[in-house]
Amino acid sequence: MAKGKIVAGFLAPHPPHLVYGENPPQNEPRSECGWEQLRWAYERARAALEALKPDVLLVHSPHWNTQLGHHFLGVPELSGKSVDPIFPNLFRYDFNLKVDVELAEACAAEAHAGGLVTRMMRNPGFRVDYGTITTLHMIRPQWDIPVVGISANNSPYYLELGEGLGEMDVLGKATRRAIEKTGRRAVLLASNTLCHWHFHQEPLVPEDMTQERPQSYEGYKWDMRMIELMRRGETAEVFRLLPQFIQEAFAEVKSGAFTWMYAAMGYPNIPAELHGYGNVIGTGNAVMEWNLEKHRKGLRVNDQPVAA
Amino acid sequence: MPVVSAFLVHGNPLPLLQPKNPPWKRLHAGYRAAAKALADSKPDVIAVYSTQWIAVLDQLWQTRARSKGVHVDENWHDQGDLKFDIRADVELTNAVIRATPAFGVRSKPVDYDGFPIDTGTIVASRYLNPRGELPFVIASNNVYHDADTTAKLASTVVRCADKLGRRVALVAVGGLSGSIIREEIDVATDHIASESDDAWNRRMLALLESGNRKAILKALPAYAQEARVDMGFKHLSWILGGIGKRYAGAKVHAYGPTYGSGAAVVEFTLS
Repeated sequence: MAKGKIVAGFLAPHPPHLVYGENPPQNEPRSECGWEQLRWAYERARAALEALKPDVLLVHSPHWNTQLGHHFLGVPELSGKSVDPIFPNLFRYDFNLKVDVELAEACAAEAHAGGLVTRMMRNPGFRVDYGTITTLHMIRPQWDIPVVGISANNSPYYLELGEGLGEMDVLGKATRRAIEKTGRRAVLLASNTLCHWHFHQEPLVPEDMTQERPQSYEGYKWDMRMIELMRRGETAEVFRLLPQFIQEAFAEVKSGAFTWMYAAMGYPNIPAELHGYGNVIGTGNAVMEWNLEKHRKGLRVNDQPVAA
Repeated sequence: MPVVSAFLVHGNPLPLLQPKNPPWKRLHAGYRAAAKALADSKPDVIAVYSTQWIAVLDQLWQTRARSKGVHVDENWHDQGDLKFDIRADVELTNAVIRATPAFGVRSKPVDYDGFPIDTGTIVASRYLNPRGELPFVIASNNVYHDADTTAKLASTVVRCADKLGRRVALVAVGGLSGSIIREEIDVATDHIASESDDAWNRRMLALLESGNRKAILKALPAYAQEARVDMGFKHLSWILGGIGKRYAGAKVHAYGPTYGSGAAVVEFTLS
């Protein structure tokens, strides 16, 4: 078996508004329009993904919360209706996904060997969370690539931030080892918003874009600063600022997916491609791509963020 | 007054799914005792506030006339499924939805097939309404609402119930200390995660039994912070806001651990 590899990572946020705005047949509610810049950003990301031809998509979602360890979807096929508990008016989605159980088990085993508590989710009646589904739909609406779904243990919230993100670093490295050992050609999806300050009342017409803008000017400036650093490939600076960014912009990357993805990719100092940025109920969302294939020559796998 | 009984209960599924596990036996039995007390109070409706139904925009209320299905907990999916069959008191809930803007809270109805009713509400309904005879008012926990707003939501439910001639059992679903055990354990050895959490829980439960509202409110900020209490113990405000000056004390039916965090079943005494 050839050694597997991660071919790309995407920052792939999960506001259900994007699915609602697109009106796919799987989603019950209908919209007139909405959040086009972000949806078109995902169209560009979809084209990039198509060119990468991955065997599997791995997604880490902050909306599958697990208290005891890091959980992995472990049922070959899961289907049902996923209704967003926060935005049930926007997201009632009939899902049907295939899981790469072999890789999921390998990830769990590697993470366990790295000292983390892990569990496989074997219950066929499990309702997959809207974060996982939104990210997967927006990046690959055909649903024809197997997935590995990973829960958010929320250790960065429960523990000190550094300790919690340290667990995500371990999880990321374990994910990379599992991908290499199983010979997969994998794409990672970090299902995270950037600035997470948001409005507290929904517009009467949710897709009325005259109501959509950054909720926080400070948060917006933080987002632009971090995106610019990522576009320049200044990974060490991104991670130096990450705790301050999380605190001051209430950034959802605290939940760990971002660190998991970067650690799995080996904290590469390569420029990320911004496919697009937009606000959803005031939060800041960027669709970004780190194409490791394009930058494979001379690519260094780092154990931690280091200056180029 | 329409409030005929009031309870603060936990929403962890483990004692329901494994009632014979020694550390969870008391919680199971305590819930059973609360169910009897609730039935004896002969309510027309159960008004539930669960810390596990998280809302961030507006205040959400369940208005689907009947919600039926099988729920799989996102954390304890390997412990068993939770069947549920829950009816809503739609008339009363809609009256509440119309009333909350008076104090600046916009409310929205939730009436969707497949809506994921939270584990805490399901656990409470299974124990306290085992035959499904009573309808519910089910309120979400908007994480940005403070204790005062939560109390106003409960008092609004009570006032609307009064207008409709309903007898209400108030139920707040939430935990005590929030520190958890983060490792795999033999569940037969489950225990409160720390001695200080245990001491704080016991102190707060004794205060609830004492009926000394002033002492409770004085101790609450330190308890919430030091014992990492579930949602800052905001669910207690649902009870105190709903029963108002009739709070006279409480009886603790059970107290124990749920994988490290604190859980209790408390029945309030009404004057």
